[in-house]
Amino acid sequence: MSYLFTILSPTDTPLYTHEFGTSRSSGDGIPRFSAAERALNPFILHSSLDIVEEVQWGPSSTSGSAPMYLKHIDKYQYNYISCWITGANVRFLLLTRPRDEALGLTSGGAGVAGGSKGSLAGGRGALGGAAGLYNPTNPATEEAVKNFFVDVYEVWVKTVMNPFFRVGNGDVVKSPVFRARVAAAAKKFL
Amino acid sequence: MSASGAGAGAGPPPSGGTGGLRYPSNKKTIYDRNLNRSKNAELSRAAFAYLFVEMISYAQRRVRGIADLEKRLNTQGYPLGLRLLDLLLHRSPTSTSSPSPQRPTRILPLLQFIAQTLWRHLFSRPADALERSEADAGQYMLFDNEPLVNQYISLPREMSQLNCAAFVAGIIEGVCDGAGFATEGVSAHSVGLEEAGAAGTEGEKKVKPMWPDRTVFLIKFKPEVLEREEILGRSGG
Repeated sequence: MSYLFTILSPTDTPLYTHEFGTSRSSGDGIPRFSAAERALNPFILHSSLDIVEEVQWGPSSTSGSAPMYLKHIDKYQYNYISCWITGANVRFLLLTRPRDEALGLTSGGAGVAGGSKGSLAGGRGALGGAAGLYNPTNPATEEAVKNFFVDVYEVWVKTVMNPFFRVGNGDVVKSPVFRARVAAAAKKFL
Repeated sequence: MSASGAGAGAGPPPSGGTGGLRYPSNKKTIYDRNLNRSKNAELSRAAFAYLFVEMISYAQRRVRGIADLEKRLNTQGYPLGLRLLDLLLHRSPTSTSSPSPQRPTRILPLLQFIAQTLWRHLFSRPADALERSEADAGQYMLFDNEPLVNQYISLPREMSQLNCAAFVAGIIEGVCDGAGFATEGVSAHSVGLEEAGAAGTEGEKKVKPMWPDRTVFLIKFKPEVLEREEILGRSGG
C-alpha cells in the first residue's frame, strides 16, 4: 500500500507532506504511486477538505466536544482518506492507496488461472477472495491509522510550541527531526 | 546517517544526517522534550512581573492611544492562545470512553475550557465567574477578581482606562479563534471600582471595593458562530 500524509493549515495551506509505503507484511516502505496518481493526489486531498468541514462539528457527544480523529471520511476512486483535526483546526490527512490485489482489481493473487480472461472473470475472482480486500472501516485499520495520527499529533504539538513557528503565516515544517519522527510512526503502525 | 553533510566542522556532528541543522549543546531538540512535564514549571512571580513590564513598555513605544496600546498587548497574547489550546488539549486526560483527544465543538465547553483548564494552567486557579450577557446573546463575560497580570501595575490618572489584562484577553482570543470560534474581539475592562460605586450610592458615600482589580473579559462571538451553535443545538448533538 502507498500512503500520502499531508498537514494542512486552517487556511488550507499545505505545511508538510510525506509519501511512504507500507512496512507491514514485508513491505519495503516505498510508495508505489504512478506518475499520474502522484499528480492527482493533492487534488484528491484538497477536495476531501469539504467533507472535513462537514463532519468536524458533529455529531458531538453530550459534553459538547468531539474526537480529533475523524476516521475514514472520503473515497475517490481507489484512494481512501482519513483525517485527524487538531484543536487549532489544523488538518492531518492520510491518503491510502491499497495495492491492486487488495482492491480485487487483479485476480492473480489467488492463483486463479482465468486471470487474463477478461474483466468479468477477473471480477468473479476478486469476489471470491473478498476476505483479503482492503476495508477502510475495518477496526484494525482504523486503530492503526489512529495510532499513527496520535504519534504525529504529539510531534506536531511540539512543533507548534516553537515560538518562531506560526501556523497562521503558512510556515512549512522543515525540521528533519520532524520528518524522521513521522517516518518512524509510519513504519511502526502502517 | 548520510555522509552528504557539507558543513563539516561547526560544533558536534549532526546526528540527524542533514548538514546545517544545529543541535543544542545537550543534543536535545524540542522533539525530545516531554510535553506533559508540568511539575516545577512555574515561573516566579517577580520574573513574570519584570518581563511583563518590559512587554508593556515595548508595546507603549510610538503608540497613539490607550486603545492602540491595548490592541498591541492583545496581539502579543494571541499566539500564546493558539499554542496553549493544542498543548492543553493534548495534556487533557483521556477517558476510556473517549480514548482519542477531544476538541470543543460548542461554545460552552470552549468557555469552560478557558475558565478552568486555561486559567489553572496560567494562574493556578479557575476564573471567578462566567456569565452570558443579557443584552447580547453572542457576548460572554469572564470575571477575574484579581488578575495576576495587574498585580504590580498602578495606572497613572490619565491612563485610568487602560487595563493591562488586554494581554490575557489576547490569549483568550487566540484560543477561541484557533478552535474555530471566530470572535469580534476580546477585551478586558476594570469593573471593581464601578461595582463598588454602584453599591455605595445607596448607603455610605464611599465603600471600599472588595475586589478593586476585578476585571471582566468580554468575549463577543461572530454571528456565524452563533448560527452554527443553533444548528448544532437543534440537531441534538
